[in-house]
Amino acid sequence: MSTSIMSNVEALSTAPFDARFPNQNQTRNCWQNFVDFYRCRKVKGDDYEPCNYFKKVYQSLCPNSWVEKWQEQIEEGKFAGKI
Amino acid sequence: MAKHTHPFHMVDQSPWPLTGALSALTLTMGLIKWFHKMNPNLLMLAMFITLVTMIQWWRDIIRESTFQGNHTSIVMSGLRWGMILFIVSEILFFASFFWAFFHSSLSPSIELGSSWPPSGISPFNPFQIPLLNTAILLSSGVTITWAHHSIMENNHPQSLQALFLTIILGLYFTSLQAWEYWEAPFSIADSAYGTTFFVATGFHGLHVIIGTSFLSICFIRLMFFHFSPNHHFGFEAAAWYWHFVDVVWLFLFISIYWWGS
Amino acid sequence: MATWSHLLFQDSASPTMEQMIFFHDHTMIILTLITTLVVYMMMNTMYNSFTNRVLLEGQEIETFWTIIPALMLIFIALPSLRLLYLMDEINNPALTVKTIGHQWYWSYEYSDFSSIEFDSYMIPSSENLPSSFRLLDVDNRTILPMNTQIRMMITAGDVIHAWTVPALGMKIDAIPGRLNQSSIMINRPGLFFGQCSEICGANHSFMPIVVESVNTSSFIKWMNSMVE
Repeated sequence: MSTSIMSNVEALSTAPFDARFPNQNQTRNCWQNFVDFYRCRKVKGDDYEPCNYFKKVYQSLCPNSWVEKWQEQIEEGKFAGKI
Repeated sequence: MAKHTHPFHMVDQSPWPLTGALSALTLTMGLIKWFHKMNPNLLMLAMFITLVTMIQWWRDIIRESTFQGNHTSIVMSGLRWGMILFIVSEILFFASFFWAFFHSSLSPSIELGSSWPPSGISPFNPFQIPLLNTAILLSSGVTITWAHHSIMENNHPQSLQALFLTIILGLYFTSLQAWEYWEAPFSIADSAYGTTFFVATGFHGLHVIIGTSFLSICFIRLMFFHFSPNHHFGFEAAAWYWHFVDVVWLFLFISIYWWGS
Repeated sequence: MATWSHLLFQDSASPTMEQMIFFHDHTMIILTLITTLVVYMMMNTMYNSFTNRVLLEGQEIETFWTIIPALMLIFIALPSLRLLYLMDEINNPALTVKTIGHQWYWSYEYSDFSSIEFDSYMIPSSENLPSSFRLLDVDNRTILPMNTQIRMMITAGDVIHAWTVPALGMKIDAIPGRLNQSSIMINRPGLFFGQCSEICGANHSFMPIVVESVNTSSFIKWMNSMVE
């Protein structure tokens, strides 16, 4: 990818404050958005744009190693969360 | 027997406290040898020493009380307090397992799928065998109270019958639980669910077996007319222990079997 | 960064740390006053030959010397709680940076736009230039934009570590399986150093953190260069 991500200051944005998870331990925040993305996709289909909100949030919050591990588990049918 | 102007029982010299302490040492060493060297022999020896200590120590107490008459009402009061405090310590023992269960189940971690029961665990239907076991233990509570009243009313045949029924119900509970354990679709190693389930119900089962043994000894003593209508503390202690075991089961049933499914 | 005779805090690089230094100074004044007073009273008692053998109690003085210390404690408690709650204020960060502790290095992920990931190892003493900071310099520094609210997410990949930057007043445990959040706002450009603060094995003392604070346009240029 050789195009720049953004060209000005105003474009900096990230996952917003989620009042459901106000404290230091954000493990559940990451997990919940990950699960919500897959559930949204399952219910609404792959092309439904608003599902990508969850995707953006979990990509910002979740360590990449966790995401890879969970995606592998989903493929193998071993993921613990209900999708 | 020395003469004294107080109502307490000064016991004679006895080797059983020493053998009891040595049996505790052998038990711990035996466990280590079993875990690390895969050899249960020392543990088997330890269990034997422990059992023989218990038999002889309690046999001596029966000899000192029932046959030699050393147990005044003050002595019996001391024994009552002792049994009560022991049962309180057992309650705290179980409290720790209930704490562990609620810690894991009230806010299930993401590794369990944030749900309780965790993903992949199929818990027992509480309204099948567990409910039957609840009925069995509650009924045994009734029969043991019947036995107690029969003893107090000097009704020997009925007291034997009632205590016998209580023991049968206890054995029935144990065999049903053993069958459930054998048929369980999950093991102690299956996540926090398996751990909390088998450790809590397992220790409870062990206490049922202990209680049933205690009641059986009382039955034999009852057969030999050791109990009188107003002095039968051995039986009362067994009855208190049995009620405690019943109450623990009720908590187990409501929290782990019913709420936890 | 700290040099050899550095006794007090490093100069602050964030408003939170500045407030912590103010609180420390405020409390230190009170402590110094109390200590002086107590030592003075002890000296007086020692060098005093007056005796009153019928002195049993003194309700008024006892009430006084209970209430006054309580009042002093309130003078310390109020600013303390103010700062504590200030640190927990809800804010809307503009950037999220993840850091994962490993044995024995940190890895950083900037995933808001595209996935930027890199590892940050300490520069071994053998490879140090005369201008390097021994045991503190790293190969890849953590670049962060200044005057921006940043959300730091800290976790670990193996054992417990802790991500520390004294100049920013931060020390957060990196625990496997847990994601800890902290908020930073760096108010000046510069280099800020820290060291792993939770025992994690043989090289626990050799996995430092270097935050390089730059202006926002430089930060965006850097992000763009990392994507390619």
